[in-house]
Amino acid sequence: MKKDLKQKIGVYICECGGNISDYVDVEKVAKAVENEPGVYLVQTTMFTCSDSAQIEIIEGIKENNLDSMVVASCSPKLHLLTFRDVAKRAGLNQYNYVHANIREQCSWAHSDRTEEATDKAVRLVRAAIAKVRLSESLETIEIEAKNVAAIVGAGVSGLRSAIDLADQGTQVYLIERDHFVGGRTAQWGKLFPTNEDGKELVERLYKQIKERENITVFTGADIQSLDGSVGDFKLGVKISPRHITGACDEETSDQLYKVCPQETDDEFNFGLTKRKAIYKNYKNAYPENPVVDMDLCDKCGECLKVTNSNINLEQEAENITLNVGAILLNTGFDPYEPKDGEFGYKTIDNVITLPQFRRLLDMSNGSLEYNGKSIRDIAYIYCVGSRQPDGENKHCSRYCCTSAIQSALNVKSKYSDVRNFHINRGIRTYGKQETCYVDSTKQGDVYLQFFEKSFPTLEKIGDKTIITLNDALTDNETMEVSADLVVLVTGMVPRKEDTVAGILKVPIGSDKFYNEIHTKLRPVETVIDGIFIAGACQSPKNIRATMASTLSATAKANSLISTGKIELEPIIATIDTNLCEWCGKCDELCSYNAFEKVEIDGKMVAQVNKAICKGCGACAPICEVNAINIIGSSDEEVEVMIDAFVKDVQFIEDHKAKEAEKTVGKTDDTEKLKKALPEIGKKILQSLESEAKSVPEIAADIQHPADDVLYYLMSLRKYGFVKETGEINDDEYYLYELKQ
Amino acid sequence: MSKLNPDFILEFSTDEEFNPNACINCGTCSGLCPIGLDALPRKLSRYIVLGLEDKILEEKESYFQCLLCKLCVENCPTQVNISSNVRTARNYINRKIYKI
Amino acid sequence: MSLPINHIIGLLSDNLKLRKSVLPLSKNSITGWAKGLNIPKNGNTVLYTGHMYQLMPSIAFLGKIIGMLENSALNKTLGLGRFFNKIINVSMFITWPSRKMRNLYDKRLRNIAEMLTRSGVEYGYLYGKEMYTGALIYDMGVDDVFIKHAHRVYQLLKDNGVTSVITVDPHTTEMLRDIYPKFIKDYKLEVKSYLEVLNEVDIKLNNIPDKDVVMHDSCIYARGLDVLNQPVKILEKAGVNILDLNDSKKLTQCCGGPIESLFPAKSVEIAKKRVDQLNKNGCKEIVSMCPICLFNLQHAAENTEIQVKDISEYF
Repeated sequence: MKKDLKQKIGVYICECGGNISDYVDVEKVAKAVENEPGVYLVQTTMFTCSDSAQIEIIEGIKENNLDSMVVASCSPKLHLLTFRDVAKRAGLNQYNYVHANIREQCSWAHSDRTEEATDKAVRLVRAAIAKVRLSESLETIEIEAKNVAAIVGAGVSGLRSAIDLADQGTQVYLIERDHFVGGRTAQWGKLFPTNEDGKELVERLYKQIKERENITVFTGADIQSLDGSVGDFKLGVKISPRHITGACDEETSDQLYKVCPQETDDEFNFGLTKRKAIYKNYKNAYPENPVVDMDLCDKCGECLKVTNSNINLEQEAENITLNVGAILLNTGFDPYEPKDGEFGYKTIDNVITLPQFRRLLDMSNGSLEYNGKSIRDIAYIYCVGSRQPDGENKHCSRYCCTSAIQSALNVKSKYSDVRNFHINRGIRTYGKQETCYVDSTKQGDVYLQFFEKSFPTLEKIGDKTIITLNDALTDNETMEVSADLVVLVTGMVPRKEDTVAGILKVPIGSDKFYNEIHTKLRPVETVIDGIFIAGACQSPKNIRATMASTLSATAKANSLISTGKIELEPIIATIDTNLCEWCGKCDELCSYNAFEKVEIDGKMVAQVNKAICKGCGACAPICEVNAINIIGSSDEEVEVMIDAFVKDVQFIEDHKAKEAEKTVGKTDDTEKLKKALPEIGKKILQSLESEAKSVPEIAADIQHPADDVLYYLMSLRKYGFVKETGEINDDEYYLYELKQ
Repeated sequence: MSKLNPDFILEFSTDEEFNPNACINCGTCSGLCPIGLDALPRKLSRYIVLGLEDKILEEKESYFQCLLCKLCVENCPTQVNISSNVRTARNYINRKIYKI
Repeated sequence: MSLPINHIIGLLSDNLKLRKSVLPLSKNSITGWAKGLNIPKNGNTVLYTGHMYQLMPSIAFLGKIIGMLENSALNKTLGLGRFFNKIINVSMFITWPSRKMRNLYDKRLRNIAEMLTRSGVEYGYLYGKEMYTGALIYDMGVDDVFIKHAHRVYQLLKDNGVTSVITVDPHTTEMLRDIYPKFIKDYKLEVKSYLEVLNEVDIKLNNIPDKDVVMHDSCIYARGLDVLNQPVKILEKAGVNILDLNDSKKLTQCCGGPIESLFPAKSVEIAKKRVDQLNKNGCKEIVSMCPICLFNLQHAAENTEIQVKDISEYF
């Protein structure tokens, strides 16, 4: 394919205040490339990134009517966007600019071999020139985005997110797998630090949800499939029916529970109680109607006899497709389930987990009993399923210390004769949570500590469970705690039955939690554009941290889809449909699923989804018929770059003469140089006019970070603007003054 | 092998100043103690907290060796009234063992 | 073999219960120091000695005897002693320390009293009516005996119309100022150490030391009662140079005195360690402000060139 080659290329070679020019002879580089085909103008500048240099470049491009540009300076990571902007301001298309990195790749890497560094710089600049000759004008890809979001999981995280997104004008689908909203928080009872009940939080959020018309809640909803891409996902969801088709008041519900003969362990209470086939998680669970569990129901028909029950046992599941712009995952966690026999779990009858204990405490009334026996001494064993030296859960679950201690406070305030024994591995009630630890020691709770080299052992003697441990706080003396109830303080683990991650292809980390792009800088985004994660599905979090992450995901999703448009880089893969024969190899290889199989003129060919492709280039070499090209890195472009790079470099000038000139200083025209200084350089010189100063003093004077000042001051020193006074001030810094 | 008895602390003292529970086992007191008690000061508190009566009796001399000089109290990061607690322990030993 | 703690505590507390003092001495040896000073027998403000300076030579002497017993089979006889002590005052059979030593301690009390008078402070003295405060019994944890005694002492002060006392030692100050109010309802008494009183008036020292001194702060004064800078100021105003020491003020170290009667050997060991500390910068004169510290440090500094003085010796 014959292209219109660029004819008037401007080449700008940066000295980087000596960072480049001390090792790479930029004048030589300029000389060596000035006769390259298409080059119209070559310039060297002290700081190409400085405002004055930028203006000079823009004026030059306009004056000479240039059609493209090459900048040879630092890494494009630093200034690619700067010079794209320069190109735009000069009236060029920003993709008619190519960058060559002659600092990190030449002067810094080869500071001990200046000639070779210069040679390499010449080759890099020539390659860039060859590439820019072939460059085309490109426009950023703009795709339409549905201002609709699917939120998966209606725990407090999903509920909160739905409210905020809805308030910002986004249509929200809130998808919950359970038949009731509220997730783990509803199970948690009284919460630290206000002792507000988790159910109250859920109720408050749910009421706000109901007030908003642009939120649709689906319960009993399972994600089935995902198609499309950012801005235009198609989410397949299966809605299991409630089997109660009209309003069902409390009285009727109570009757239904009574007549239903089928019974099973109540999951909401972690098996502490039984529930019927017709059930609600708890009395005031939302949505208000009970649900019929068809796995348990044997259709005996007893419930149908209850008047006004509105029961329809034949109601069928419904499959729907939701067209959304973004998906927010708030799928939460599972409490760690100890293995049989782990600290007596399931082998000793008065050993339960922390979530079970919280339910027990929440439901208890008048007296604290378990298995019909009243409880006085409670032993809490910490870090069960977290921080495992041998098991797979290495993480700290972050919430459990506080939750266990707060339970101990609550149980004591409810039943004052209870005695708490905290058998821990170091208490981590970080931040504001420390107060609960202090309160607990004040109420007389006893803390014992063990190390992972010797775990406590448990033995049931009579009604009591005897826990034996070596207490690290008493010189590892062996202690015996006799307990009526042992609470295993279990941590958070990823959801066991997780179908969502597989369907949505959400990356999973080595800890089995959902993986973000960057732990610190991009904590709520995934590698799949338009899919966000928040709350405990990403890592163990308490409610406070969950809210912070869910609101952050909400804001990210909103900024992505709310304008109805998403701008994407145009540097992606293209298919030559004449050559493509659809073998499917590219589709197999692509990590992002950017390829689709389509029919064009009766032939099956590959098509690239512009919204998904990241332009990574992995597919190009796999194509046997060479039908795939990456824009900006086509075969032709790569080939001319290689040709330009391997071409002989011959310096015309005598090297020694040039060296001599360099030591004399090329700064005869100081005034001109001064003009070319970046703003901060000018400020430094101004600051030194009054008196000699040290780096920290200059930094304080001109209000710039000291490391920036040091960097530019060293350049000024190289160019002969300043020198040390030879004195050292009180803080042992050198003083600098203007060189006359 | 010692059996814990958290009720012990209640029979031990009802004095408001009595606060061995506040101890965080940092060891500052033991490091500072000019007398170099046979059992470390923090251990004396610990035995009371855990209700290990046998241990307290075993170490009864240590409780009486304390100078009550309050150097540990002055430096305790959690304001445990160590001297006052020791005096309470002496009172307990006098009552229970020495029958004074 | 260690000492039978129970018998010693028993003996001392029996004494306080029956005879109003841990070591009941004759009236004369308690009030002898005030002879010829013409201190009024009453007044709203009284100088309250708490018997500490007077008792010290005897307690110390007892300590020595107990120390001898510490490793002897004789210590079993203490149990027998306690039995007889309930009937007759066994203390009376103990050979008392020399007259000379008692005079030294009396002199310090005289110095304090005379300095107060010289500086225009008005006060009385209860003479034979004055009682020991029970500090030792409180420290030993014999609360019931102590509480009864504390009430006795407070009643005495009330009966004599005393509203304010000037104390001469840290233990008595602590008892009357901080400890009694914990056990006595509606307790009202102004308690000041003579060091605090003298710090507020103009005084002139008669025996200014001719060398640098180092200060041994009392644990109770420094950490409990906030008597920290007063003694320093009193000496500095007179031009005395006080050398700096790390282990001083709030971080002062104990002289070992409090366990004198139960663990005499250990007590001496600690006192010697403290003298070494005080001598760290080569200072040869140590200033103390508590009779217990004074006795213990002097005992530890015996046979060295280090001198330990009570601050009142400069008055």
